Amino acid sequence: MKFWQKICLFSILAFVIVFNAASIMVIERNHSKLLQQVIDNTLSEHMNILSSVDAVVPVLRIYDSLDYEKTVLSNIASTFVARSGDATNYLEITNAAQGVVYSNLDFAMPDVRPELTGLTTDETKYILRDLGHRTLLFTTNKKIVNDKDYVFTYIKDVTSLYAERVDQYQFFVKVDIGACLLYVLAMYFISRGLTKPIDHMVGTARIIAKGGFSERVALKSKDELGVLASNFNEMAAVVEGKINELELNNSEKQRFINNIAHELKTPLTSIIGYSNYLRLTKYDEATFLDGLQVIYSEAKRLEALSTKLMDLILLRRDEFRLAPGRLSAVLEEMEPALAMRAKEKRIQVLISAEGGELPMDEDLIKILVFNLADNAIKASPEGGRIEIRAYRDGGSVVLEVSDDGIGIAPEHLERIFEPFYMADKSRTSSREGAGLGLSICKSIAEIHHAAMEAVSTESAGTTIRVIFGEPHESRWGVEA
Amino acid sequence: MARRILIVEDDVHISKIIKMNLNIAGYETEEAHDGLTGLDAVRQGKLDLVLLDAMIPGLDGFALMEKIRPLGIPVIFLTAKNAVTDKVNGLKLGADDYMVKPFEAIELLARIETVLRRYGKEENVLAFQDVQVSLDKREATLSGSPVDLTPKEFDLLVVLLKNKNIALSREQFLDKVWGADYYGETRTVDMHIKSLRKKLNWQEHIKTIYKIGYRLED
Repeated sequence: MKFWQKICLFSILAFVIVFNAASIMVIERNHSKLLQQVIDNTLSEHMNILSSVDAVVPVLRIYDSLDYEKTVLSNIASTFVARSGDATNYLEITNAAQGVVYSNLDFAMPDVRPELTGLTTDETKYILRDLGHRTLLFTTNKKIVNDKDYVFTYIKDVTSLYAERVDQYQFFVKVDIGACLLYVLAMYFISRGLTKPIDHMVGTARIIAKGGFSERVALKSKDELGVLASNFNEMAAVVEGKINELELNNSEKQRFINNIAHELKTPLTSIIGYSNYLRLTKYDEATFLDGLQVIYSEAKRLEALSTKLMDLILLRRDEFRLAPGRLSAVLEEMEPALAMRAKEKRIQVLISAEGGELPMDEDLIKILVFNLADNAIKASPEGGRIEIRAYRDGGSVVLEVSDDGIGIAPEHLERIFEPFYMADKSRTSSREGAGLGLSICKSIAEIHHAAMEAVSTESAGTTIRVIFGEPHESRWGVEA
Repeated sequence: MARRILIVEDDVHISKIIKMNLNIAGYETEEAHDGLTGLDAVRQGKLDLVLLDAMIPGLDGFALMEKIRPLGIPVIFLTAKNAVTDKVNGLKLGADDYMVKPFEAIELLARIETVLRRYGKEENVLAFQDVQVSLDKREATLSGSPVDLTPKEFDLLVVLLKNKNIALSREQFLDKVWGADYYGETRTVDMHIKSLRKKLNWQEHIKTIYKIGYRLED
């Protein structure tokens, strides 16, 4: 059963019970009050008769005759009955000797009259009886008149009282049905209205469960449902964020794998193609040397790629112990190797280092510096120069590698940290790399909680900065 | 007339080795190293087939494919990705076949030939020196006079002509002539080669290549 149906049903049940009980109580109280009043009236009328009888008792004493008594009492009774002028009043007077002294009953006195047993003198008892269609109030009193026991039974028809009650009940049933219908109608709309936000949330939850993670509940109320809805929305936002992050991660991984496949298969295709060609065809000397050259260079490319991949795998281990070290010491140690690398293109490497200790993994920092210097050398013209600096900048230590080489176009600048991204793929000079250098650098920087920044102007040079002690995302920009 | 094939491939080495293999097999070639040059070449030249790398700069292979399709030029995709979706994508766009890198030249030539045959662009007459072979009539002539060949000898001759200057192994001959499910010995190939050499007087032209197999040489 639905929640709104429950609200509706239970409140209707409660209403019906309370409303009916209250109404019945009111009707019954009303009825019993009226009845009590009638009983009181009847009893006092009864007393009136008795006092009338009392008034004639001295006369009766004088005559002391049964017949006379009967006549007198009958007169009193008939006067009384006539005076009241009400046909629904009956009076019966009996005594032990003569039986009925007076009676205007139009029905047979019931045989069983429990009110008579144990009735003492001057005591008045009353009882209600259903006789035929009528309900009658019997008031009975035993009185000694002139030393004889008389029983006075005064009877009042109270059928109308009961008819009135039935009438009230009939009216009540009509009112009850009307009220209940009205209540049901009102409760239907109220409970639907109250549970509408719940339906809304259920629908939203279902959409989210089916993958619509950006779905939200539009509910602005301040009650508990509003709070629930806003909490629900918060939860959905967190879930959506996580899912997006996972998807991004996943697609990044997929792209990485695709790129690895591409980068592995391209040199392999050349190597297999050329070696097969040399193996199967009649080649001339030039083709032979050409082929060997391609096989050699493509194999070297594969070697470089495998080294880089090993570096990357090493970086993904996530368990580096950073020990305090000095950038200046690392740079000093690397200087000969860098100078050697630069000698081919007669490039001058300028190193200046200051700055204090940093938590670092020296091997990783060497990979970082070497990759950055390597990129700078590749970008530089023959006989150019690159500059490697370490310096303090406020609270952070900056490692900066700059060249005055070809630079990077703005549209490429924001993507250079992506794995396998190469600014110009068709350029043969970039063939030596796999496009992994900067991505490796970024991973190393992340391990050191350092940010990376690239600033470049086309055909004027590039500056890459690694900012230690500032755990930020990589930034990029173009120098004016 | 020699058939003309456009190679759209950004890696110059791969492009060149494909070109060399196609030239050996008697195709004329054109090269394009990015999508836009590729598109130009497609629009200008009279091409019989395009070999198209999926990942090329400028205009990627799939985009270029859509431009080629209306021209009715057969296309074979070259891709480094083994992903099924990539193949499906390529074929759905109207490519006739695809090759996953790295591939063997022999296989590439076979696929090219299959696609060209489907387009009715297959050469019906193969010639080498003074030997002429008509594929329609299944006839071979030496200096104009018919040569009596068994069906298998004829098929073997066709394979040799189609892969001239490329060495094939005995297994490859078995596969191409006798079919993949033939469990014969490689000696069968030797016997048929011997017989062809004799019938066509090709003792020098069919070279035995050490450790590999045979090659038809000029």
